[in-house]
This record gives sequence, structure tokens and C-alpha cells, in this order.
Amino acid sequence: MLMSQSRGSQNTYLLVPILLIALLLSAAVIRGPNLVCLSGFGSAIIVSAPLILATFSLMALAVAGRGTVDLAVGPLLAFINVTIVKLNGLGIVTGPFGVFLVALGIGVLYQLFFALIIIFVRVQPIIVALSGFLALTGINLVILPRPGGTAPDWMSSWGLGNTIFSPILLIVLLAIAAWLLFTTTSFYANLRLMGYDERAAYTSGVRINVVRIGAHIIAGLFVGLGAICYTALISSGDPTQGTTMTLTAVTALVLGGVSLSGGRGGVAGGLLGALNLFLIGYVLATFNFGSTQAFVTQLFYGLILVLSLLLTLLVPIIGRYLHFISPFAAFAVLGCVVVGIMLYISTRDTYGVAVAGEAFKSNPDVMTRYLLLPVQSGSGPALPDLTPLQKIVFGFAVILAVLTFTVRVIVAEAVSVRLGAFIYVFVSALILLLFLVVGQQSHAAGILATGQSLGIGP
Amino acid sequence: MSQTFGDGGRNGGLFIPHSRALVWLNLAVTFVVAAISFSLGFWQGLSAQIVILYTIVLAAVLFWLINYVAVIFESRSSSLETDTAAPAGAGGVWAGNRVLIITMAVMLIVYLLITATVPSFRSLGNLIAFLLLEAILVFAFKVGNRFAHGRSAFIGLIVLLALIVISSFTIKGFLSAANIKAILLFAAFLGIACVGQTLVALLGGLDLSIPFVIGASNIGLLFLISLGVPPWLAVVFVLIIGGALGFLNGVLSYRLQGQALILTLGMGFAIAGLVQILTSIGSSFGGNVFGTVPKWLQNLAAMNGRTFGLAVPPTILLWIVIAVIVIVGLRYSAFGRYIYALGGNRRSAKLIGVSEFKYWTLAYTISGFSAALTGALLLGWSGGGFIGVGDQYLFTTLAAVVIGGTSLMGGYGGYGYTVIGVLVLQVLSAFLIGIGLKYEWQQFIFGLLILPMVALYGRAPHIRAQV
Repeated sequence: MLMSQSRGSQNTYLLVPILLIALLLSAAVIRGPNLVCLSGFGSAIIVSAPLILATFSLMALAVAGRGTVDLAVGPLLAFINVTIVKLNGLGIVTGPFGVFLVALGIGVLYQLFFALIIIFVRVQPIIVALSGFLALTGINLVILPRPGGTAPDWMSSWGLGNTIFSPILLIVLLAIAAWLLFTTTSFYANLRLMGYDERAAYTSGVRINVVRIGAHIIAGLFVGLGAICYTALISSGDPTQGTTMTLTAVTALVLGGVSLSGGRGGVAGGLLGALNLFLIGYVLATFNFGSTQAFVTQLFYGLILVLSLLLTLLVPIIGRYLHFISPFAAFAVLGCVVVGIMLYISTRDTYGVAVAGEAFKSNPDVMTRYLLLPVQSGSGPALPDLTPLQKIVFGFAVILAVLTFTVRVIVAEAVSVRLGAFIYVFVSALILLLFLVVGQQSHAAGILATGQSLGIGP
Repeated sequence: MSQTFGDGGRNGGLFIPHSRALVWLNLAVTFVVAAISFSLGFWQGLSAQIVILYTIVLAAVLFWLINYVAVIFESRSSSLETDTAAPAGAGGVWAGNRVLIITMAVMLIVYLLITATVPSFRSLGNLIAFLLLEAILVFAFKVGNRFAHGRSAFIGLIVLLALIVISSFTIKGFLSAANIKAILLFAAFLGIACVGQTLVALLGGLDLSIPFVIGASNIGLLFLISLGVPPWLAVVFVLIIGGALGFLNGVLSYRLQGQALILTLGMGFAIAGLVQILTSIGSSFGGNVFGTVPKWLQNLAAMNGRTFGLAVPPTILLWIVIAVIVIVGLRYSAFGRYIYALGGNRRSAKLIGVSEFKYWTLAYTISGFSAALTGALLLGWSGGGFIGVGDQYLFTTLAAVVIGGTSLMGGYGGYGYTVIGVLVLQVLSAFLIGIGLKYEWQQFIFGLLILPMVALYGRAPHIRAQV
């Protein structure tokens, strides 16, 4: 029992960000339905990508322990950004290969330097980070005194955000996949052990210096990718946003439940934290605070950082009482609910226009109505014509399948350390479905060009 | 010859070496320096009373300092002689002074490279500055080792001296009264802001909310004054609010001491946002506050302020008073001793009945209070409210504490060290401005400076030694 309890409670720290993201996503969709369409998702991905990658970078270092919070992550990102823009402006490095090489190279070199100082000079990491913060903030302004310059030409289409499947999404997905692959190695086990208890790791023969350097190199790669996404996003250079980026990334890290004292954390936490923070900004932007908008955002970011830090005190308590709930099962359940809300919002306005209400009366099944019909009506070939009976049967089958999956997940995952592969498939299928529906919606709205599709489309 | 520091000629604060020869030597050195300054003073055409006054003060301070160093040498030399018995020959010299030789060689190479490439760099002043730097390096390395305690402060003083000498060689008018006053004034702002940071650092925490509290108190005070609140009441109110915010910082971060840095950063952001919202409600200028600062507040901090008729801004005197209170308080009061006890070893301090919560929150309260005071003084200096006025204090407070030599782990250091750190930073800043470097370059150099300063004394033991 004890065994299963301790194993079950391993990931409970994720419950808080998962609950938060469900609430925020619902609020975001209700407050600003523009989110649920191709360009909405596309721009959301592009805007949040630099933050996600910066958070990953912090996460890799936080897992390595010793209270390593790389405060210089924002200025480093800005440094790579202005370097890319400057080199592009001078015509030295313009091609994709060169830019990636420069970005990842700077990130890795800086982090390698960072690691070597921690290991050999044996100064507290936070001091090195502060030092780097000051130095990089200064040198950024020297390289590019004010925001300006242009990103490489081939990057200009990346930041448009009118489609979901942009290269930015690919970069983020590759980063996530790479980290997940990395977690299967024994190097990752050593990293977590070192972060949790460095002395224990040392005495059990882990070569902690090598592990630490490895963690920093991974962090450097993430920062480099983040800088590329950031450059694509703003398609110019901006030396002034470093401090803000650091603060938001640290907030995202804490919000995602990653322990700043080391050993606890993962890609799910970092991703959820960054998305949460993006959604908070999104929801706040839908309220109109007039001239105080920036200050309200500042206030909320600060408060959220403080509150989520205080929440981490509750993690052991949550773990004690809720150990039987698998966070990923909760994610799946909440995900279904939120996707339902999103689908409802996205199809509410166009439904009447597109289908002209004919099938509306004949088919009361919610699932079928909102999931299948718009697709069918938008561009015929996606699904064959179904009779109402078939629709009902199909809808119930889907609901049954979802319920079975959910129950199965809750029971099975509560005691397992690692997640079964199928939940990834399940969640990604869910997201893919959403994208498809939304894509069809936008498409349909574009074809019909009724101009009445209030919530959706360009 | 005495063996310990305690009875080593410590006659009520006057340090007198036991060796007669040393006393005479010190007297002679003091006399020569005093004579030089005496003649220099007359040569500059100052009035006789001032020259005599300064010469006497200089001679007294110098004599006291030299004697202090001599006493330390006397009391330490016997125990050190056995330790420093290095193997003879060239190998021994190399082994004993490896770092020093490498550093000197690197500096020489850098100097030669710059001289070879930059024609405008080839001047007598630069050569003298370089030679001086090398000499100071040797001095710091060879003498600094003799101080078991306060080594960082000693190095800081040496660096300060070197900076002043180099600056006065390379920059015209560096030692003019106006420039010194400006340096001291900015040092006073930074020094007052650093009071809280030092106390918090002594407990092993950090407070990054200081710049935001400074900015918030800056615009908050002007806002209150523009509302018609009597200025003195507004100042008191702002100081109390600052202390309350610091208290909140302390309470919230008590259970999260490892993450106090991040927590206070978040608090600072929230505070700055909230104050900006409050001050811009009903105003069409988001974030900008307009109002007139009362005369006495301007006089308090402005460059041309006067204290009892003296042409010195009262802020400088205020800083000196605060510094004395904090240094003496940390050294002799129960409050100060308990802060050191808690910083040094939480567990044993708790076992003797020191309330950790009380001192932790108290340190943060003082930090908030001193930050609010700095913000109020900065309002007097600038005459207009601006939320970003504290931005540069985000890391300079920390840098001053670190450069002075207070350990960020807690338990070691003090405000006296921070004063040295503040002065080093300000003189360095004035030097960099003097040679025409912009703020960005200064920030870059400050950033790079922190690391070696911490590395000099703040190194953690190897993991082998911790197991």
C-alpha cells in the first residue's frame, strides 16, 4: 500500500497546473472566441513558443539542483536574437543552417561556460546567473541600441500565425519529443538523482560534473531554439525584453510545479506552466483596462508568481490526500470537457449558417451535433453522409470509447510511475481532432463568406 | 610580542605596535605624507585653516590605519611563519604564487596588446596606471593573505584606492569637490537601499523587490503630495507602507527561504503594478504622476542641498548616520548578534532560543523600509515621479553587498563591508563614465566584476569535502 501510494503521488504536483489550464482555457475561449480558429491557434502557438522553450531551458537546469535558476535566460534569448538580426543585417549569416548553428552554438557555449564556472570556480549558480544577466543585458544594448533590424527572409513567413502547422510548432514538438526521449536514458535518472541529492549521487558513483554539463548543454539548446522562435515572432531584434522574458519564464516554471530546489520537474510541467501563463495574458487582454492594461498584467504576473510559489508548499499535502488521482487522467477528463467547450464555442455561430438548421432538429445528440455536422456540412468529402440513426450510434460509440478510456486511465495510471504510451496517442488524437474541426470550420466559413461568422475566422 | 589579536596592543581602539621601531617608522611615514599634503594644499592655493585641518585629520587617520595593519602583522606573523614555509627555489616560488604570476602575466599581455593596437592608448598616464595596478595586485595577494577575517574588505579597500588613483590620473577633475560630492550622493542612495539587502543576505536570503519598492514609493509619494496630503505625513505614510510590504515579503518567503529571490521578485512586480494602477485611476496619463516636490525634500537630496549651512546634501550625512547605527547595531546589539547566529547556523541558533521567524521578517521589514526611504530621497533628487527610477538598483544592491564581501549564504559580512562595496561600485561607475563608456558597457563590466569578487572568498567546498 505504501509502495503504491508513494508511486501514485509522484506526479501529483501536476494536478494544480492541469486544473488551472482547464479553467483558463475555458475562460479564454468564452472571453475571446477568436482563439478557436486556425489563425487563433496558430498565433497562440507562435506567441507562446519562445516562452515554452525558455521555460524548458530553465526546467532542465532546475532539475539539475543547487537552486539553479538561470535568471539570464531572458537576456540570453535576447542576445541570440539581436546577434541573429545583426549578422543578418551585415549579410554574414543569412541561411537557415547558419542561423540555427549560430543560435544553438551561442546558447550551448554560454551554458557550457556557466556549467564550467559552477563546477570549477564553485560559486553559487545564482551568482553566476546574476552576473550573466547584468553582462548580457548590457551587451545586448551595445549590439543593438534600440529595437529594430530585420530577421532573415526565409523566417518571415514563420511568424504570420495563420496556420497551425508552422515550422514553429515543429520546433516545439521536436523539443518536447527530444526531452521525452531523453527521459528514457539513464543519464536523465542520474540528472534527477543529482538534482535531488548531489551528495548521494556523488557517493553512488555518478559523475556529477559530466551530468551537470549535460544539463546545461540541453538548456543551451532550448534557449537557442527559443531565440529562433522569438526572432520569427517579432521578425526583428529587441534587446529590451530580456528582464520580462526572464520573469515570465521563471513564473511559468514555478506555475508548472517544477521544484526550484531540484529533482522534481518535467516537460509536462514546463509546458503546462508556459501555456497557463500565455492564457493568463490572453484572458487579461480580453478585459479592457484602458491605460492601466500593462500595469494590471504586471500585477497579475507578480501575484501569480507569488501564489504559485506558495502553492508549491501544498504539494506534499495534495500528494498525501489525492494520491489516487492520476494527474494525466485528470488531464484527459478535463481535456475532454475543455475541448467540448471549445467545439461548442467554435461551432455555435456558424452552425446555423452552414447547415441551415435542417439536421438540427432531427438529431439531439450533443456530441454528434457539434463534432460531426460542421465537418460534414463544410466540405463534403471529409465524412460520408450519415443517416440520423447512424449518427446517434456513432456518437454513442465515441462517448463510450472516451468513457472507457478515461476510467481505464484513472485506474491504471494512478499507481504507475510512467505514463502508458496510449495516453499520449489519446491526447494527441483529441488535439488533432480539434484542429481538424477548427480547420474545417475556418475553411467552411471562408467558402460561405457569409460575414456572419462572428466568432471565427479572419 | 603578543600572540593573539585580543591583547595585541588593542588599547581602547588605539592600535599601537609593541615594537618601538615600528611605531617610529609609522610616525615617519605619517609625517612625510602629511608634509606632502600640506605643501600640495598651499600649492593649490587653499586657505591656511582648511589645509591645516585636513592635514591633521589625514595624519591622524593614516597613523591609526598604519598602526592597525602593523598590529595585525605582529599578531599574525608568528603563526603564519610556519604555514608559509614554501619549498625553496624557482619551483617553490611558482607553486606559492601561481595565481598571482598568471594574473600579472595576463594583465601584461592585455596591456601590451592594447598599446600595440590602439595608438591613443599610449600615454604616460596609462603606463603609470598599469604599473600601479600590477603593484596593487602584488600587494593585495601578498598582504591580503595575512587577514583571516575581512580579507574581502581589505581587497575592496585596495581596489577602491586603486580606482581613485587611476581615475585621478586619467580623468580631469575627478578629485574636484563637485565630482566627489556627486559620487558620495549616489553612493548614499545606493548605500541606504543596501541596508536591507545586507541584513537579508546575512540571514541567507535575498530581496529583489527593492527596486520596485523604490519606484513605487517614488511615484506613490508624489501622488500623495499631489493629492494634498501634508508632505511630512506622506513621507511617513510611504515609509510605513514600505515597511509593511517588506514585512509581507518576509512572512511569505519564510517557508520558502530557498526561493526568497524569486518570491520577492514576484512581489516586487505585483507592488509596482498595483501602485501604478492606484496612481493612474482617474488620471488620463497612465503611469505618470505630476506634482511639485516640497522645498525641504528637494534640499534633502539635491546636489546643491545644504546641511546646517554646509554645502553638503543632507542625504550624505543621513547615510553616514544610518551606516554608523547599522554597523554598531550589528556588532553590539542582541539583534545584530542573533542575525549573525541565525545566518551562521539556523539549527543551533534555534536551539538557544532565537526566533527565526521574528528575525527573518524583521530583516525584510527593514529592507522594505530602507527601499521606501531611498525612493522618497530619490524623489527629492529628481523632482519628478518615475516608476523606473529604482531599476538599476535591482542588481547594484546585490553587487554592492557581494563586492563588499558579505556572504550570500549568510552569517558572514556586515554593513561596513557593504559601504566599501557601494563606494567601489560608485567610483568605478564614475570612472567608466569619465572615460566615456555608456551605461550599457558599465552594466556589462559590473556583471563580469561580480564573479571574480565572489570567487575570491565565496567559494563552496568541493563535493568531496561535503560528503
